[in-house]
Amino acid sequence: MQQESLAREGLQGKRTVQFRQGSALRQLWETNLEVFQRDKLALLGLFIFAFFTLVAVFAPIIAPNDPLTPLKNADGDWIKDAEPFWMAEPGEDEAEGYVNTFQLGTTNIGRDIFSQLIFGSRAALLVGFSAAIAVAVIGTVVGLLAGYYGGWVDTLLMRAADVAFGIPFIPFIIVISAFFDPSIWNVVVAMAALLWRDSSRVIRSQVLVIKEQAFVSAAKVSGASELRIIFVYIAPSILPLSFLYGTLAIAWAILTEASVSFLGFSDPDTISWGYMLQDAFNSLALSREAFYWIVPPGLCIMLTVMAGFFIGRGYEEVLFPRLRRM
Amino acid sequence: MTILSIRNLKVDYATQDGTARAVDGVSLDVAAGQQLGLIGESGCGKTTLLKAIVQVLPRNGRVVAGEINFKGTDLLRLPPADMRQLRWREIATIPQASMDSLNPVERVGSQLTKLLAVRGGYDRRAAKRRAVDLFDLVGLDSGRLSHYPHEFSGGMKQRAVIAMALALEPSLLIADEPVTALDVIVQHQILEVLRRLEEELKLTVMLITHDISVVAQVCDSVAVMYAGRIVEQAAAAPFFASPAHPYSLGLQQAFPNLARPREQLVSIEGYPPDLREPPTGCRFAERCPFVLDACHIDDPQLQQVGADRYAACLRSGEMDMLRQQAEDPALWQQVEVAQDSAPAGQSPALSPTERRGESFIGSATENISPSLFMGEGFGVGDERPLLELRDVSKRFKVGGGLAGLLRGDEEQTVYAVNNISFSLRRGESLGLAGESGCGKSTTGKLLVKLLDASDGEIDFDGAGLTALDGEDLLRFRRRAQLMFQNPFEALNPRFTLYRSLTEPLVIHGWKDENERLERVVETLERVNLRPAEVFLDKYPHQLSGGQLQRVVLARALVLQPDFLVADEPVSMLDVSVRAGILNTTRRLASELGLATVYISHDLSLLQYTCDRIAIMYLGEIVEIGPSQQVINNPQHPYTQALIAAVPVPDPTIENPPLRIREGVPRPTERFIGCSFAQRCPEAMEACLAVRPPQVRDAEGRITQCHLYGEHSASPKLNGGSGMLA
Repeated sequence: MQQESLAREGLQGKRTVQFRQGSALRQLWETNLEVFQRDKLALLGLFIFAFFTLVAVFAPIIAPNDPLTPLKNADGDWIKDAEPFWMAEPGEDEAEGYVNTFQLGTTNIGRDIFSQLIFGSRAALLVGFSAAIAVAVIGTVVGLLAGYYGGWVDTLLMRAADVAFGIPFIPFIIVISAFFDPSIWNVVVAMAALLWRDSSRVIRSQVLVIKEQAFVSAAKVSGASELRIIFVYIAPSILPLSFLYGTLAIAWAILTEASVSFLGFSDPDTISWGYMLQDAFNSLALSREAFYWIVPPGLCIMLTVMAGFFIGRGYEEVLFPRLRRM
Repeated sequence: MTILSIRNLKVDYATQDGTARAVDGVSLDVAAGQQLGLIGESGCGKTTLLKAIVQVLPRNGRVVAGEINFKGTDLLRLPPADMRQLRWREIATIPQASMDSLNPVERVGSQLTKLLAVRGGYDRRAAKRRAVDLFDLVGLDSGRLSHYPHEFSGGMKQRAVIAMALALEPSLLIADEPVTALDVIVQHQILEVLRRLEEELKLTVMLITHDISVVAQVCDSVAVMYAGRIVEQAAAAPFFASPAHPYSLGLQQAFPNLARPREQLVSIEGYPPDLREPPTGCRFAERCPFVLDACHIDDPQLQQVGADRYAACLRSGEMDMLRQQAEDPALWQQVEVAQDSAPAGQSPALSPTERRGESFIGSATENISPSLFMGEGFGVGDERPLLELRDVSKRFKVGGGLAGLLRGDEEQTVYAVNNISFSLRRGESLGLAGESGCGKSTTGKLLVKLLDASDGEIDFDGAGLTALDGEDLLRFRRRAQLMFQNPFEALNPRFTLYRSLTEPLVIHGWKDENERLERVVETLERVNLRPAEVFLDKYPHQLSGGQLQRVVLARALVLQPDFLVADEPVSMLDVSVRAGILNTTRRLASELGLATVYISHDLSLLQYTCDRIAIMYLGEIVEIGPSQQVINNPQHPYTQALIAAVPVPDPTIENPPLRIREGVPRPTERFIGCSFAQRCPEAMEACLAVRPPQVRDAEGRITQCHLYGEHSASPKLNGGSGMLA
């Protein structure tokens, strides 16, 4: 009643248009909002990402030392294998000629572990986000084109996806690393080259459903161009799906980067959590029970991956509400 | 003897937004040998009642009060194990969409014998014998027992399901919408089976349906449900002759009737009340044209109004007078206009008096003004057709492509539309009718260039559609529009109604937002969605089906086209609101001088809306002519069968038995002669060998049949035999 009279007043007074244009971005924003309002775990994931993003951005300020330069004592020797200050025996540092302020100790060549951990977040997030964007963008475009146009476009793109499905992931990255200089970008390239396959398949199937719906025919009948149909009518419905695959890709990318680094195919000049693990493993940190070297990077990997999956799970609940009942 | 007696049954559903009482105090008796039809629109509690009887309510459903006595035992107190014993053996159900209830990976015969063995205690040989008997009983070839469900047609599956329900000789058979998804001919055959079984086996049946003509055909008594209550209960004959509740009255007049066509159908506009917060007075009061002030206060109970007749209406004493008033469709439209102004969920905000006051503004506009606007811009004598089809065909290729090549499938051609020709003048309406798969929807898509013809030419205002592109295509798009079957899918769920309606204008270059808004508002008001402003900001899911279909109509009309194709415009809607949509469409078409093509399987609907009707069979038009001639005096044997199969909502009129054979040939087959010859009761030798001619009679009707051509004396094919369904 009230709404009605308001609408009337507005119209009689001045025929201005205030009816909201449901743009694709606004729709996406609303979906996002719904995800995080509904699912507290997804919100937690978002917080974790936000936390690590802040850490990555302010890494030079937070980190007390350069992560790659070995620290030296008064004599100019490397401060090898120092224990964290809260574990080390008092007085030991003075005897060795340095002051132990290391939150997580040092490595076997005297690098500050805590600083490595801080800088490691940069590699993780860089790989994570760029891979996610690559996977989401390529997968969405391929899925839209294959689903909407069908025919030989579909055949071509989906057979390419079949090929991508046939290539084993980790060996592929190793081969790429062999061709190019070791770099964290290898992981991004490999993910972009292979992982669009999952998202494009799912998005294609969704497009196939949507394009058969009557409102798409209605748009066609009223003269909408194909691009308009794809981007105004179909794309907004699948954007949340792209987002879902994007968040999952973040987790995958970080995990993959860690695996590749652990296998020793990463750039020794870029610190990542995986690289730290490999370094610790190679320098027999395990046998020295240097948990302060192994656990923190492992924990960080776990947290970011979990964050990705939490957010992905939240999306699934909103996108496929039927899953909830089962 | 009463076998089922329900007393004051109340069923609640727990929903996210509170408790909805789906069945509210229903009392009902079913005597042995009685066939009770339970009718009402969707959401009125019919299926819930059924589920409560067999106790298969969903998890959030709960019987809160009442009793269900079946042969002396209260089913509600029965332990679950005993209840299991009762189901199927004593109370058998044919569930909704029962055709899908056969296990697709098991032979039908084995499903039947397993049932007999496990639940009926038959040994193997007896079970097999009984299965054969049952198949005979429902008119299925017992050789079919070893087939899988996918080898059955829809009608055969339905027969098999009926056979299974009857397998253990239940005392009560409950059928939920047993013929709803079936084509009219199959529907007729299934109803025949039901009717025969009722007689032969003295079955006790409870039949749940929204279609009163089905009830008229197979039931001897009727109960009408509305908003969780029974509002009228009577024997079938008096019920159909003189309904005693305004709702039944409306339902009856809302139904198009082939035998007694109406000038104008009645539409019970509005929506059933929200059962989470039911109104205090009569539940139908909001939609009732005879409402009194007292109706909003007193809650009428079911009371006797005659011999064996019960109705729940305060004015049941005056029914004879009301019935006469109800003949006037304008009476019902007052409610229509008023109700449309309140979108779903908001209706309680308006008080009834406000509504009534508003209603008179709109009531006059709904009257059909015959061709008032015609002749403007084009002379009435202008005989040049707006649309002309010449030998149009559409073929689809299936099973081809790379995957088909690798699998070794042969590419097949589906002949969806074959050599059809017709023309349509401005302001004229044509109906396309036929069973599903006859190519009528494909024709509709060809007409608006959603598909291109494989052969032949479609001319729209003198220009061929196939070659249209660029600017010309855009111009055509402005002039030809399509209205869709399913209103729930026809609007983008992510767009507000304003966005949906303004899109066509944006596409066609309307730059000024205020002009667009003005046109949108004007169009919404045209289709009786008033005040239009209320609807602009809504999303499709906030509207009811009837309102949505009006929005779909508005979108089709917003560009002010010359030509409209309506593909099954009301088949997804409740009967009570169908007429409203049809009336509005018909009125606007005549106001705007629109040429209209209606596509429907429902002949009575086409008779109501169309000047001419074309009957399609396997992609061909077998008969086309003026509606009245085609319906009242069909020439083609297929048309005759279709019309004979339409159930009539009047128990005194029994449909003649059908003479055509079951089973539409596959659309991949080609025929040298007549495509209908295989099923035709009149088939002659010439029909198999020679293409039937198109014979034009004095009324301008064209029939494609040998009976009226030069081969009419051709010797008959061995008629009689095999002509049974």
